[in-house]
Amino acid sequence: MEIQSPSYHRSLADKLNLSSEELERYDRQLRLLGFGVESQLKLKRSRVLVVGVGGLGSVATLYLASAGVGLLRMVDYGDVELSNLNRQILYTMIDLGRPKVESAAKHLQKLNPEIKIEAIRERLTEENVEELLSGVDLVVDCLDNFRTRFILNDACVEHGKPLIHGAIYGAEGRLMTIIPGKGPCLRCLIPREPAEHDKIPVLGPLPGIVGALEALEAIKVITGLGEPAIGKLIVIDGMDLSFYTIEIRRNPDCPVCRKIKIEEG
Amino acid sequence: MEEDSLKVIIRTFATLREIFGGTGVLYLELPEGSTIEDLLRELRKQYGSKLDVGRLVGENPNVKILVNGREITYLDGLGTRLRDGDSVAFIPPVAGG
Ligand SMILES: [Zn+2]
Repeated sequence: MEIQSPSYHRSLADKLNLSSEELERYDRQLRLLGFGVESQLKLKRSRVLVVGVGGLGSVATLYLASAGVGLLRMVDYGDVELSNLNRQILYTMIDLGRPKVESAAKHLQKLNPEIKIEAIRERLTEENVEELLSGVDLVVDCLDNFRTRFILNDACVEHGKPLIHGAIYGAEGRLMTIIPGKGPCLRCLIPREPAEHDKIPVLGPLPGIVGALEALEAIKVITGLGEPAIGKLIVIDGMDLSFYTIEIRRNPDCPVCRKIKIEEG
Repeated sequence: MEEDSLKVIIRTFATLREIFGGTGVLYLELPEGSTIEDLLRELRKQYGSKLDVGRLVGENPNVKILVNGREITYLDGLGTRLRDGDSVAFIPPVAGG
């Protein structure tokens, strides 16, 4: 097995437009087996939409920004509230009352000035979802309700955009990677519209864990590394630290998947 | 354990855990040869009023029912036979973020 030396990276990076600062910034991930400069450039060329910058989005955006995605577009309508701060680790007291996307953008840009950040203070709706999706390669679901998730899911499936689904409740987490045409979607997983719950219980580390896993899945899909959780629902029970992997198949009656061409196998 | 009965461990998640309280773990003794459908009937008998909110019903496809980690859709559905020591999980969808 060949370990690539820093000089190998240097000579390749020269050809492929990574500055020496970027090489240093991403040094530890460049050392990852099978990653290399090619993966870094895939990240640099990628355009990612993160919907929601609450508990999940705080952590997912931190890792995506630090990993070096080329464009990070964030959409959220909310302002920072005191009751957010047990889990939404992008924010501090100074951000109270400010739009989340603005505080998030400022913080993330300071973390990584190499990337482009777009902060959109809107609610995702059927009306604006296409515009929000336009030009992005991958979408990360960091939402806090079913209704908006379904709007996002339907649009992602229709436009063939990979969608990383994450959700939490109490000390539990859920994760599934949706690749339209290749595996089940959110409506295959949840065929009926469930009741919405306002102000749910959340233990802070759970959105942290799931948000980090969402960033990991996004990085894997973008770079082609590893095996994303396609057709697998990951259920995390923080109380006894159990991780369950549940096989989920495409629902032949899924009203969304039915409309697109399905890859076999 | 009596010879003609079986014992299963049931783990409930999220909103269901709140119905049963605590860690959401229940132990249930059922007659030999019982299925998931029998288990659901027994749960309704014991927790009827709490379960009548319609969240833990075999007909709700949103709630994944697992036997030893496998979803019953890919076993024998509600007719899936239970064996002594089986672990059954009820996992509803969640939407927090
Ligand atoms: Zn579907």
